[in-house]
Amino acid sequence: MAAITSSVPIAEAPARRKTFPFLLIALLLPMAIINFVAFVLPVIRLGMISFIESRSGGVLTNNYTLENYVDFFTDSFSFELVSNSLILGFGVTLITLCCAYPIALFLHRVSPKWRNMLFVITVSPLLVSSVVRTYGWMVILGDQGVINGILMSSGVIDSPLRLTNNTLGVFVGMVEVLIPYMALSLIAGFGRLENVYEEAAASLGANSWTRFRRVILPLTAPGIALGCLLCFVLSISSFITPKLLGGGRVFLLATEIYDQAVIQLEWPTAAAISVIVLIIFGLALAVYSRVVKRFD
Amino acid sequence: MQTQELRQVAPAAETNTGDQAFLKLKGITKRYGVDYMAVDDLDIDVPKGKLLGLLGPSGCGKTTTLRMIAGLLDITRGKITIDGDDISHKPPHKRDIGLVFQNYALFPHMTVAQNVAFGLEMRGVGRTEARDRVEEALEMVRLPGYGDRKPKEMSGGQQQRVALARALVIRPRLLLLDEPLSNLDAKLRDDMRIEIREIQQRLQITTVFVTHDQVEALTMCDLVGVMHKGKLAQLGTPEDIYERPADLFVADFVGRTNILDGEIEALDRVRIGASVYPCNTRGLTSGKAKAAIRPHRISLTPSRDRSLVSMATNAAQGKVTRVTYIGDVVQYDIDIGGNTLTTEVHTASAGHSFQSGEKLLCEWKPQDMQVFAQGSGN
Repeated sequence: MAAITSSVPIAEAPARRKTFPFLLIALLLPMAIINFVAFVLPVIRLGMISFIESRSGGVLTNNYTLENYVDFFTDSFSFELVSNSLILGFGVTLITLCCAYPIALFLHRVSPKWRNMLFVITVSPLLVSSVVRTYGWMVILGDQGVINGILMSSGVIDSPLRLTNNTLGVFVGMVEVLIPYMALSLIAGFGRLENVYEEAAASLGANSWTRFRRVILPLTAPGIALGCLLCFVLSISSFITPKLLGGGRVFLLATEIYDQAVIQLEWPTAAAISVIVLIIFGLALAVYSRVVKRFD
Repeated sequence: MQTQELRQVAPAAETNTGDQAFLKLKGITKRYGVDYMAVDDLDIDVPKGKLLGLLGPSGCGKTTTLRMIAGLLDITRGKITIDGDDISHKPPHKRDIGLVFQNYALFPHMTVAQNVAFGLEMRGVGRTEARDRVEEALEMVRLPGYGDRKPKEMSGGQQQRVALARALVIRPRLLLLDEPLSNLDAKLRDDMRIEIREIQQRLQITTVFVTHDQVEALTMCDLVGVMHKGKLAQLGTPEDIYERPADLFVADFVGRTNILDGEIEALDRVRIGASVYPCNTRGLTSGKAKAAIRPHRISLTPSRDRSLVSMATNAAQGKVTRVTYIGDVVQYDIDIGGNTLTTEVHTASAGHSFQSGEKLLCEWKPQDMQVFAQGSGN
């Protein structure tokens, strides 16, 4: 009997394995082609452009040079750009995490009856373009905006507070834009968190702070890592919100790429900065995968 | 009303072994919403070192009771004391109670040793002492040297033993087990049953064990509390519960039983169909009744003259309508004139087997027939 039953799967397995890859390839191919044509090739081209000798007026020569990178690394303004971008990236990510974590934890715990509805409300800002939302913040934070209007008419302040056209405005706008992404990633990564672990910790003598630190936080680490990676990348690469709420006074890598490519028409310089941003993203991805492995 | 009377007649409270109560539940109640009573006015005393089983179908309030003792649920009313210490409103982390969950609830991000050490760490036990006690606890559950594994690398039974070690290593005043065996397969369940009982007796730790499995309750526990619809239907030793059920619900829920409709003719006389049988009517003298007889308490003999049967036993003539071979027993369904009796005969002791359609005489002792007033326990 044992011999008969064990021989069945062995006989069947090769047949199954034969058909399997065909379907797999058929399903993966469209996306692979799109990815190759729309991502891999452009990135290679971008890398190539970054080594082309820069000429005024957007002319691309055939001379390859390291000059664009040398210029970048020897210009003190570049370091300002990098540090501004990193501060914005880390700062916005941290604030977004602090704002979204309680929301995600609540959504994870709320009864299934309410969960779907509350979930939709949480991500509903994504239905409105971030450009529109940024303009909304300009209306709220501007010199004649809602906040300054209320504070001035109630006599709390005499002259408007500078809430926009500076780093503060960019932070506020970016955090609001990114909260839904952060909340989505957190919830996606909360799969391992179950109420029973907290109960077990409580029965073993852990108070609520210890339960959070020793049980909830480590079990939600994959979600935190995913959300932080996503928000870090999105905040460093976004330029519309910094441009509008920074009023041209906040200088970041992303806004510099835009200026170089579209206004100065210095494509090789823009490409070189883009490659540097890609390297920063690569580093962030490496940190992410280490964190995920550590907490798995 | 009759239900109430019957409960008072049942020898529930007296069956406590007389020791001082260690865990005392006094009138504990859990109400949800306006009028849903998940647990309704429960009084249970557990003497030190004893194992109390809370037995009942799902939704009877047994797990709610356990969670209230653990402090994971607030009590609506009542009082819980351990060794005289009122813990009714203490948060769970201050109760000093070991808890084992149905799905083990081992922290997945920690190793086995870290899991077991967690409670010691919370109590500020030094590192070397903690390491010794963790190893000792793992040896107790027969998992020495497994400390560096992650819970997901272990089988269900091993995880359950780690959960037991984690709950016991803190030397709690009380151990709570919430359906600890229900996720294990049958063979493992038998082994774990014995193992848990052995450890419990060795440590002399007062334990509350929640289960829906009557075999677990009867085989492992010193005391069994049968719960039904949030109330305690009966509290007693396994033998009390099985031999002297307090009401029809207990008789029906614990073990297999035949329930026959009848009417009480007089004290200790019940009419079923056309026959009147002597039995124990618990003081009742009239009214509609249900009679319960365990299948294996009915002996079967080939049909013979009714006059030969001793007056000390009850007997009914019947015809076999169905034969079910189970392995250790054979079940015969026997039609005794309107009512069907299910009976069981051990296969080893069966001198001969009966055929469907065969005429038989069913005999049972009057004390094996429990009679309950209609509607008791429902």
